[in-house]
Amino acid sequence: MKLKRAGDAREFEVEIVAREGAALRLRIDGEEIAAELEAAADGGATLRIGGRHVRIYGMRTRNAIFVAAGPAAWEFVAVEGRAGRARGGLAAAEVAAPMPGKLLRILVAEGDAVAAGQPLLVLEAMKMETTLYAEGAAVVKSIRAAAGAMVDHGAVLIEFSRAPADPSARESDPPGA
Amino acid sequence: MKPRKIKRLLIANRGEIALRIIRSARVMGIETVAVYSAADAAAAHVAAADDARPIGAAEPAASYLNIAAILEAAHAAGADAIHPGYGFLSERPEFARAVEQRGIIFIGPPAEVMAALGDKVAARHIAISAGVPVVPGSDAGDLEAARQFAASAGYPILVKAAAGGGGRGMRVVGEAAGLATALEAAAREAQAAFGDGRIFLEKYLARPRHVEVQLLGDQHGTVVALGDRDCSIQRRHQKLIEEAPAPGLEPVLRERMAAAALTLARAAGYRGAGTAEFLVDGDNFYFLEVNARLQVEHPVTELIFGCDLVVEQLRIAMGERVAEPPAARGCAIECRINAEDPAQDFRPATGRVIKLALPAGPGVRVDTQLEAGAEVAPYYDSLIAKLICHGGGREQARARMAAALGEFMLLGVRNTAAFVREIIASEPFARADLSTRFIEEHFPRWSPADRDLHDALIAAALAANGMLGGAAAADGGTNRGASAADGAAAHSPWTTLGEFELWGRR
Repeated sequence: MKLKRAGDAREFEVEIVAREGAALRLRIDGEEIAAELEAAADGGATLRIGGRHVRIYGMRTRNAIFVAAGPAAWEFVAVEGRAGRARGGLAAAEVAAPMPGKLLRILVAEGDAVAAGQPLLVLEAMKMETTLYAEGAAVVKSIRAAAGAMVDHGAVLIEFSRAPADPSARESDPPGA
Repeated sequence: MKPRKIKRLLIANRGEIALRIIRSARVMGIETVAVYSAADAAAAHVAAADDARPIGAAEPAASYLNIAAILEAAHAAGADAIHPGYGFLSERPEFARAVEQRGIIFIGPPAEVMAALGDKVAARHIAISAGVPVVPGSDAGDLEAARQFAASAGYPILVKAAAGGGGRGMRVVGEAAGLATALEAAAREAQAAFGDGRIFLEKYLARPRHVEVQLLGDQHGTVVALGDRDCSIQRRHQKLIEEAPAPGLEPVLRERMAAAALTLARAAGYRGAGTAEFLVDGDNFYFLEVNARLQVEHPVTELIFGCDLVVEQLRIAMGERVAEPPAARGCAIECRINAEDPAQDFRPATGRVIKLALPAGPGVRVDTQLEAGAEVAPYYDSLIAKLICHGGGREQARARMAAALGEFMLLGVRNTAAFVREIIASEPFARADLSTRFIEEHFPRWSPADRDLHDALIAAALAANGMLGGAAAADGGTNRGASAADGAAAHSPWTTLGEFELWGRR
């Protein structure tokens, strides 16, 4: 299955190749890995891998897969097979709120052509400001929220259409990704 | 001032600090009243208090910053004292004044002292006239005066908000060309954040340490110092790791700093618990500001002095005298755990706690509001837990902290535990190479190790395939921060948590 971290574009291919008792064989991005898994009474498990062991917990919900591995907490999203094709060559067809919060400022207007890495919106949550950047070149088709509004996690804020052909535009991760 | 007994204490705050204050009041036999916003109806501090009153909508301005609603709750609940905690209204002189005007005891310094110290420019003047060293600086925010100051002090210089805090309205200016823009931006940010656009300038120190002195002043004019804390490990001016005592300071410097803090507190007529903050640069120290409240990092002082600073605050408010503290014992370190994703530039994270494991053992203390089912909402500060470890020496405290962070587990809300654990385990932290540039020097653009990412991917694949934590759970897609649009009150965490258990694991 394809996984990505919530709010991040990079995709990982993870497959469980075989599981026999405690023995586990996996493949991550083509690399085969052997591990052992021992279930624990509290719903977690101990993962033994490469001479180390780490306590892991996980929970799949409709939208996300939550994971705790040692003290690290993660949120993954399962990537649907055809999503990439459906975007018509855009790095992202839309910008959705990565967390609930207040939409402080909108830095672009409908019809604007934006370049990869260009700041689009500023959100405020937990007293911190977070700027959302364009993942690739595109044209702002519509803006779906107003400055000052509280927006929910996952709310679509900007929709893109394809940018006119521009050889200098390239798909890239947003800054900080 | 007449001694007055406190019988019923209202805590005008939320989260870990509200819980922590409730605990101390309880051991003193004082009844407690919690207040809560619509987002916090099911929060731990509400359940812990003897009484609880709703004060408004989730947004802080409507609830935890709503002076009228809090005073009304205090009146309705029959509270005779109010503890403001930290943040929110804790350093608003108008709140302290309004509380006292109602005949209710405010747990903190008098409003006028708070007003004088809360204004950084005024506090600087108090320090200068008390003979306490300050960072070379200038009050004037206008461009010409700024140019003159910068030319004489030399770049880089720091532009700060007079009413500021937490790094807001703060700008480093590297060269003359950037000065005008920085002054404008800082004033605009300060106006937006504090309703006060006044700014001032300071010489920018290259690699200072942040060291602060804990103070306690009573109503009879006695002020004592309870040692110092190093809070140099900061990210974007927000403290991450604090420890007491500040390691490796020359005894002479330590004594001079404590004496300066006491002089300042006496000059200002300080009362209650407070902190004098300094920058230490080599053999020099410079006064920064006084925080006229209990601080987030107060537990490290409590652990080495074996005291309870909230109890001290309440005793002072009841007219009791402070005593010279006993000798400090050992070292204590605090790590803040924030609901931010360190793997994604520390972006705020929200959600519901699905599962939680907290560390324990000798010398380990955890101050947190977290519990299974608790909601981490977007409206408030991202601080969700404080781990505090005490040891006979710094190395033992550090080893205990590394182990404690290894035991910490929070499923459902991304957080900074793994990041602070790497700092604690790092070589520069072990040898106490502390400065406010620590993070940018040693952990710039941090990202999790590939090994940790692989572990997490394996766990995710197992969970997705029903091989971890039981069968796949349907949660109705609501394992998120309380929906901003529909308000959290109609959306009790317990309703949706129920779905987890129903569909999740049997």
